Amino acid sequence: MFNLSSLVQKAQSLIDPTQALNISASDRNPAKSTLFRHQFRLPDSQTPLQEITAELTISPPIAYSPNATQGEKDRDRDRGYHYAGKLHLSESYLCFSTQPTSFLQTASTSTSSGFTGQTHGAGPGGNGFTLPLCAIRRVERLHSQSYQFALAITTWNGISNTSTNETSKTPAYQQKITIQLAGSRQACERFCDGLKKGLKSGVGEVGKLKRVVAECYSEYLLQGDGKKTGEPPDAGLGMLFRYPGDARKLRDRSKMRLWGEYLRENGRNVTLIRQPTFHKLIRVGLPNRLRGEIWEQTSGSLFLRLEHPTLFAETLAKYEGRDSLAIDEIEKDLNRSLPEYPGFQSEEGIGRLRRVLTAYSWTNEEVGYCQAMNIVVAALLIYMSESQAFFLLSTLCDRLLPGYYSTTMYGTLLDQRVFESLVEKTMPILWDHLVKSDVQLSVVSLPWFLSLYINSMPLVFAFRVLDVFFLEGPKVLFQVGLAILRINGEELLDAADDGAFISVLKGYFSKLDESAHPTSTNQKLRAVTRFQELMVVAFKEFSGITQSSISEQRMKHKDAVLNSIESFAKRTSIRNLGPDSKRLSTDDLGALYDRFYGILYERQMRSQMIQEETDRRLKASKARAAEVVNGLAETQSVEKGRVGLGPSPTLMDYDGFREFLAGIARWAITDSPSPPEKDYPSERDKHSYFGNSVRRREVSMSPWGAGNPEPADHEFMQRLFRRWDVDMQNALTLQNVVTGIAHIKGKGDIMGSITYFFELYDDDGDGKVDREGILRISEALLFLSRRGLEGSLTPSSSMTGLSEFEAGNGAQIDGPQGTTNERFLSSVSAFIRRCFEYADPDHPQNQETPGESTTNGTADNNAFGIGEDSDEEEDLLDLGPDATPKRGKKLTGLSSNPPASGKPDNDNQRSVSKAQAEAANAALDPSKPLHITLPTFRMVVLADELLEQFFESSFPASFRISDKLTPPGPASSSSSLTTFSNIGFNRASNAASQTAAIVGSSAAGVVPPGKGLRGVLDNIVTDGMRVAAEVRRRMDEAQKELEKNAVHRPEDDEDEEEGYDGPRTSGTYGGDAERRSVRSEDRDLLEGVDAEAMSIRGQEGVTEVKQNALSPTSPADPGRARSISTATQKVVEFEQ
Amino acid sequence: MADSTAPKPSSSVKLVLLGEAASSLVLRFVNNDFQENKEPTIGAAFLTQKCNLPTRTIKFEIWDTAGQERFASLAPMYYRNAQSALVVYDLTKPTSLIKAKHWVAELQRQASPGIVIALVGNKLDLTNETSSSNPLGEDGDGEAAEGEDADGDARKISTAEAKSYAEEEGLLFFETSAKLGTNVTEVFTAIANAIPETSLKGARGPGASQAAARTEDQSRVNLTGPRDAASKEGCAC
Repeated sequence: MFNLSSLVQKAQSLIDPTQALNISASDRNPAKSTLFRHQFRLPDSQTPLQEITAELTISPPIAYSPNATQGEKDRDRDRGYHYAGKLHLSESYLCFSTQPTSFLQTASTSTSSGFTGQTHGAGPGGNGFTLPLCAIRRVERLHSQSYQFALAITTWNGISNTSTNETSKTPAYQQKITIQLAGSRQACERFCDGLKKGLKSGVGEVGKLKRVVAECYSEYLLQGDGKKTGEPPDAGLGMLFRYPGDARKLRDRSKMRLWGEYLRENGRNVTLIRQPTFHKLIRVGLPNRLRGEIWEQTSGSLFLRLEHPTLFAETLAKYEGRDSLAIDEIEKDLNRSLPEYPGFQSEEGIGRLRRVLTAYSWTNEEVGYCQAMNIVVAALLIYMSESQAFFLLSTLCDRLLPGYYSTTMYGTLLDQRVFESLVEKTMPILWDHLVKSDVQLSVVSLPWFLSLYINSMPLVFAFRVLDVFFLEGPKVLFQVGLAILRINGEELLDAADDGAFISVLKGYFSKLDESAHPTSTNQKLRAVTRFQELMVVAFKEFSGITQSSISEQRMKHKDAVLNSIESFAKRTSIRNLGPDSKRLSTDDLGALYDRFYGILYERQMRSQMIQEETDRRLKASKARAAEVVNGLAETQSVEKGRVGLGPSPTLMDYDGFREFLAGIARWAITDSPSPPEKDYPSERDKHSYFGNSVRRREVSMSPWGAGNPEPADHEFMQRLFRRWDVDMQNALTLQNVVTGIAHIKGKGDIMGSITYFFELYDDDGDGKVDREGILRISEALLFLSRRGLEGSLTPSSSMTGLSEFEAGNGAQIDGPQGTTNERFLSSVSAFIRRCFEYADPDHPQNQETPGESTTNGTADNNAFGIGEDSDEEEDLLDLGPDATPKRGKKLTGLSSNPPASGKPDNDNQRSVSKAQAEAANAALDPSKPLHITLPTFRMVVLADELLEQFFESSFPASFRISDKLTPPGPASSSSSLTTFSNIGFNRASNAASQTAAIVGSSAAGVVPPGKGLRGVLDNIVTDGMRVAAEVRRRMDEAQKELEKNAVHRPEDDEDEEEGYDGPRTSGTYGGDAERRSVRSEDRDLLEGVDAEAMSIRGQEGVTEVKQNALSPTSPADPGRARSISTATQKVVEFEQ
Repeated sequence: MADSTAPKPSSSVKLVLLGEAASSLVLRFVNNDFQENKEPTIGAAFLTQKCNLPTRTIKFEIWDTAGQERFASLAPMYYRNAQSALVVYDLTKPTSLIKAKHWVAELQRQASPGIVIALVGNKLDLTNETSSSNPLGEDGDGEAAEGEDADGDARKISTAEAKSYAEEEGLLFFETSAKLGTNVTEVFTAIANAIPETSLKGARGPGASQAAARTEDQSRVNLTGPRDAASKEGCAC
């Protein structure tokens, strides 16, 4: 499994520690801007810009309707209300709260989260306001002696009525508040400047405001009494189907009057000012027709609606007629959502419910639809319009109930765990009883939270809970839940199983309207209902349950919950992988699963980190953070994409696939990692993965993660990706990957393996692979084998180069030869030769000139065979239609060793091969197409023992799933790999650069892009060889033994190899290293012998190149690798 | 509750329902005059039903888990400590058997060790073999189906396929029609019979009794056991 904490640490180490505050997991406090938004229930677009200590004076209404002329209000008019607190300014809101707190970046985090008001930071607590700047009509600066700055703010309160009121000559009520700023002159001026700017940009929004406000019932309510005009705004289905409960019993009328009065004095909807009465009025229960509006106001969804007033309608229109899984699921549940309410027995109610749920499922496809949302939305729709319910649902899912309805429902599970731990803490006896009788609390409490008690309590009471919940936040759910258990504690202690437990609580809920103390003699006490008792217990006895204590608990349990979800998901997912997965062991599947999702997760985190880092550098003060209530806020921002958190990426793109392969197959690790930023700043943009965003950064952040090997990008990998991508979506699912690997690894028969490889290169599926394909296959074979072969060829499969090397030698069955790798190289060249030999011409007319086509092949092969020794000369001489059979030997010569180059008669051959190389390029003309078929391919492969072994065992074995793949040791990778990169591979195209890496690093610097293997070989001919010439000369002195062997060489290829093999095995790598280090000394001599090299060019070039190509096969051998790297490096310097 | 009869020993058994079309099956079982949770399922619905066996009375406490895919991650909460499970698939939907198999694997791996699992193919009424051949003749209840001879056979999963899987995994196996009531009672009776008595001592207890149940279970949970008499007896419904 991915190690989370180490990832987080890794992430942090890459980020400037002083700036990392916002996404740091060790800092338990969420981003201040998040806190700010939660405190004032602002949309995500808002950030705290300015804040200043201030005193708010609410001036009494200038004029209002005649019925409110009590004496008390007259007194208020004289003195007004004064509140000291803090005034905050964001992009488009002016907010005031009496709870002193600071959200600015400069403030310490504790001051931003340290308040302990009524809502504990989870809602618009305290007294004050959240005023959209567009709702401010004018701001005047008052002259004041006691304060430096005093602002009089006039709002657009009642904006929707102004026109009608004017015509009817009713004095328009003007809401005017005064704010005295307390701060240095400078601070005040800065604040005022900010405000001015905001006001200017807010002017354009007034139209929107008018529109949004018009849908609020308060506007209708506060129209001059008795002169109400027009239709009342939609206040939910209740207007058509009656509101639940007995209005008289609920004292709805008096509540309405109280609210009417309050709103008249303190502003309505957007201009509402919170005073102590406001909180009291909410606690006693909202009146039916205002309920929806107040929910909207306190939850902040009103401000979302203000941002996009038409989003609901637009979403519906945009997706009209479209189908989705969510819609199917919604449809099934429509008739099961509060069916007892008459509104949902009608098409009208069902239709509204359908539209709200559907629209939301489109705007948040990650969540889509979750059962229980139907019940919650149905409840909302009784009191509010569709559009209002739509935005409130959005606020619920994103903010109030984070993760509750996600696809893994981790929020639900997490809060259940939190609830259980709170029960354990506050009611230990009950908890012990539950444990003893083996009752799992969450099976009872889960529906409470998931459907906000709507499904558990009678509706009238559930709505009372909701009234408080929207104002004070999620802690209310916990408080009420704890109170329920506390009140029923006695009876619950008697319940011994799930059934009894459930029935106790069911009985309780059905009697919520009864007296809590039916036998009491005290009249007043008898009048207290069980529900009232519940509220008192919840908010008095459990007042200690605050937002921050819940956040703390969430943090504590988060990992355990996510882990259990993830292991469940993993088990399920692995079982779902289909029949192909049966070919792999459970361990392998588990390992694949971990690796697959680990990579997706890491990549997402990395890109997010890079994104955040970029953002941060762009505008340091506006770092982004996730939007969840405290505990989850910062963790979500870091952990987005974790499986347990819900919809995580399930598709792996090609880059991810490369990384995936690099983790399980050694050949998939690049030889040429991107150079460090400092060395090659201009090269950065060549790396397509980054795009432009990263070029700006000074700190190099590898897209592959620090310390991870950078994956290669070979054409073979692209083909594999395409092959596995059976759904053609340019991305792989876990299923694709498992199936893909199962086909390679699970079959275990060589024929299947060969067929698989062939099909990989049979682009059009016609059973033929053309010349291009043959060459690409050979490139792929070299690519796959360049770090050594695995499986039966190297049974010990040790990771150290030395032992592998020995193993390779030890495993030789058919007599002494070069290393396995060298033998493999010769096998590949033999493969190419045979392929061309047995290839069928594509067109009938070509059959008439078989000689020509084979000549092409021959010529081409000569490009490989440049380093051939003397016995091949004969072949070259009688090159022609009948030369074909002999080509085999020639190509075998490709693997000949350095000493072989010391032939006196080589000059002759060289010129010939040069000519042939030129002919080869011409002969590659596609007008002479040829192809091989699967049977041919099979035959060619089986003709070579090494290839046969490769397909039988080493290729499947090169995918290491559950046995850990040790990446090349850091020393060797940093030395040898960097060396390659210094050569400037990045300039070459992907395929070419990889091929170059295989064939020869010293020559690769001049590989023109796109020419692949042939291009590389051409370069070997023209450039690499002059380097080799001097090598040979030095070799004469330094490697006498080898030289001796070379002398024997003319006799027989095999002899030569045998001879060479001797010192190799006996001298092992010491001699090897020595030989290589010799080359490193060559650099200063090279220039001088350039002319000489020209004459013998080509011969040693190949051998030299080959050595380099093979050296990475033992990357874990630091000594060897390092010496190579120094050699190559110097060569490069020379070439540059 | 059920018409409680003789003072037979009574014990409760926790049963969890998983898979597609499971709710209708349990409603059929519980429905008649027994209490039913009318609320829409949030998480899981809780129902109870008694089942009278010759020697004892079993009170099923049934957790009917919510059908939506994402609620699957809540399932461990409900199958925890369950002594029996009913994994239902829809025999007209091939994917549902695959899902059922996953549930079986999940239960075998994660639930309490002695859990009795019944695999049930529901919607037998949609096949055209309801009257002619009862695939479960051995349970002696072939006549239960009031067959309507539907023209099209919507069956997508053969009895043999599911049955051989069930035998392989040591599951009870039935094909039922919740709509017609075919085999429904038999399922629950068979489960009641398969619950080892050691795990029935009074209230459900974790630990020792279940560990004991595990060993005994091996012999008990097989289809061919001498259960015919018991299944005739039937539940109290």
